[in-house]
Amino acid sequence: MTIAVLLKQVPDTTAKIAVSGGRVDQSSVAKWSTSPYDEYALEYALQLKEAGGGDLVAITCGPARSSKMLTDAAAVGVDSMLHVVADTSEMDSTQIQSILAAAIKHCGAEIILCGKQAADTNSGSTGPGVASLLGASCVGMVSEVGIEGDGFIAQRGISSGDERVVVSKPCLFTFDKGLTELRRPNVKGIMMAKKKVIESVSAGDLGVDLGESGVKINSHAPPPEKPPGQKFEGAESVPTVVAKLREEANVI
Amino acid sequence: MPFEALDFYDVDSLLTDEERMVRDMVRDFVDNEVLPKIEHACRDGVFPDEWRVTLGEMGVLGAPLKGYGCPGLSYAAYGVICRELERGDSGLRSFASVQGSLAMYPIWDFGSEEQKNHYLPKMASGEWIGCFGLTEPDYGSNPGDMITRAEDMGDHYLLNGAKMWITNGSIAKVAVVWAKLDGVIRGFIVEDEDEGFSAPEMKGKHSLKASVTSELVFQDCKIPKDRILPGVKGLRGPFSCLNNARYGISWGAIGAAQACFDSAKEYSLSRIQFDHPIASYQLVQNKLSWMLREITKAQLLAYHLSQKKDAGDWIPEHISLAKMNNVDIALEIARVARDIHGANGILDEYPVMRHMANLESVKTYEGTHDIHNLILGRYITGIQSFTRDLS
Ligand SMILES: Cc1cc2nc3c(=O)[nH]c(=O)nc-3n(C[C@H](O)[C@H](O)[C@H](O)COP(=O)(O)OP(=O)(O)OC[C@H]3O[C@@H](n4cnc5c(N)ncnc54)[C@H](O)[C@@H]3O)c2cc1C
Repeated sequence: MTIAVLLKQVPDTTAKIAVSGGRVDQSSVAKWSTSPYDEYALEYALQLKEAGGGDLVAITCGPARSSKMLTDAAAVGVDSMLHVVADTSEMDSTQIQSILAAAIKHCGAEIILCGKQAADTNSGSTGPGVASLLGASCVGMVSEVGIEGDGFIAQRGISSGDERVVVSKPCLFTFDKGLTELRRPNVKGIMMAKKKVIESVSAGDLGVDLGESGVKINSHAPPPEKPPGQKFEGAESVPTVVAKLREEANVI
Repeated sequence: MPFEALDFYDVDSLLTDEERMVRDMVRDFVDNEVLPKIEHACRDGVFPDEWRVTLGEMGVLGAPLKGYGCPGLSYAAYGVICRELERGDSGLRSFASVQGSLAMYPIWDFGSEEQKNHYLPKMASGEWIGCFGLTEPDYGSNPGDMITRAEDMGDHYLLNGAKMWITNGSIAKVAVVWAKLDGVIRGFIVEDEDEGFSAPEMKGKHSLKASVTSELVFQDCKIPKDRILPGVKGLRGPFSCLNNARYGISWGAIGAAQACFDSAKEYSLSRIQFDHPIASYQLVQNKLSWMLREITKAQLLAYHLSQKKDAGDWIPEHISLAKMNNVDIALEIARVARDIHGANGILDEYPVMRHMANLESVKTYEGTHDIHNLILGRYITGIQSFTRDLS
């Protein structure tokens, strides 16, 4: 069986984000990292491979810099890497989904894992969109996945507790924060990663005709600055503070 | 605020991809597992055992050694590992230096095939901790006059004497001990359970509190014949180990300095006095730019030395210069950073006072600052000035 994990490189959650000319200034991002939910997808993909055998391929669609993320994935045990090199900054979700679906077909994967949303765009559409293009069952917001007979069992938190969903392949899981600890690389893995070659293709190579984007991003804007803190002293200020907590902060 | 490793000249861009991946791995370990625990470890005076396990799992112990389950990395990678560990704490870096350069290295270079196969894989994985016994209560800078003696008893050796200031001593399974056999310095592998051997911990340190420091006491300690290191005689044995450890320290000190710089920069930008951030005052900027200057020079020195080490084109004096300079500036940077933090600088909420106190040890061990001056003085003039005997 071939398992695919979809990874997206995003600004590190600790990186400062600057906006210039109505767009996030990518050149000012000091550190790029694998989107955190994707890391859980990767961890469970490795566990599935360890439990059931097969090949694990890591796929990304993004600019040249994202290849580092694939090498990092190789260092923890991914067998092969496919990089669809593209400037994704002005692409819409459906275009990216069609590229990823084609990439998955190219690798022959029938089990696909990805994050429930990317830490930068937070749109959450990639997993379900790709599943629908592939005609695969989709289980969202998963915190754990394992092998169950010929199929797979995924656990997901719902309001009344935990839900376990059994699906057969082709299937796609989108990951929430998982229940397990992420593995870290080690020197042996890093040395092995050096020997693995990243297959680098364009959307055209995969036969994807992107067409016109149906969505236009008008502009990005930074969130408004937090208002300065307010300070109250003395017993006489209690009613004011209570009123503010109730009406402005909505916490009581 | 996340840590920003000052690298003004982008010296890390000279590293290979693999070396940068090793850097990121160790940096993440320090961020996620060391920094949240370090103050606690210092307060309790312990080296957390889970750090040993993780260092072994990451596969960084004995970094530049090849074969026998050792990582086989470049000296540049070894340097980067030391730097990242010491950004966390000098005690953590000391653990790794002693394990790799002082305990594994002599077995790797001077040990028999059996000794290498027996000890190195378990030491590389972190399962067995090693220590290095050279210094004695009365012989520090002058180890050549050591008192510890080994006697050949036919079917075994008998070891008598005492070592002091031994990092990892009480937690080590394997001690590489230097002792005189018929007046010649030889290396012996002593195991924790050997009869007549004990390793009481030294308490009361104000420095390297998260590192274990011990005495090693040998009272008619019986050592099997196959535990002598066959490959070396004389001071060359311990000194070759020290060369490797000192090299690592020249990188490690940069990590401590980067941590102090980062903290001082952030603090000075946020601390308001006389209506303005203290970072806006020229005296404070002068301190910060001096730190940047010294860290940048230290980075270039360490990187160039790594290339010489990897090419095998180096002399011990090159290492003396780097150890001496980089620890010296790191200690001074820690002191100035402490000053910039004002009263807050003495709190364990900030790393600066801990690094400062640690670096006092680092300045002394592995050849004191002045001993390295004397090594360079001898190199320049051809005249040794360690003793009055000008032979
Ligand atoms: C925390 C810690 C961990 C250590 N770990 C280990 C270990 O794992 N294994 C080990 O073997 N040792 C270890 N050491 C010992 C360390 O290597 C010695 O402390 C060091 O070599 C200095 O020796 P000393 O302390 O006896 O100082 P001394 O040699 O007594 O020096 C005292 C002062 O005199 C100066 N001095 C000495 N000789 C001269 C001279 N000829 N000319 C001018 N100045 C001189 C020195 O520079 C220094 O300033 C450790 C020390 C510390 C503090």
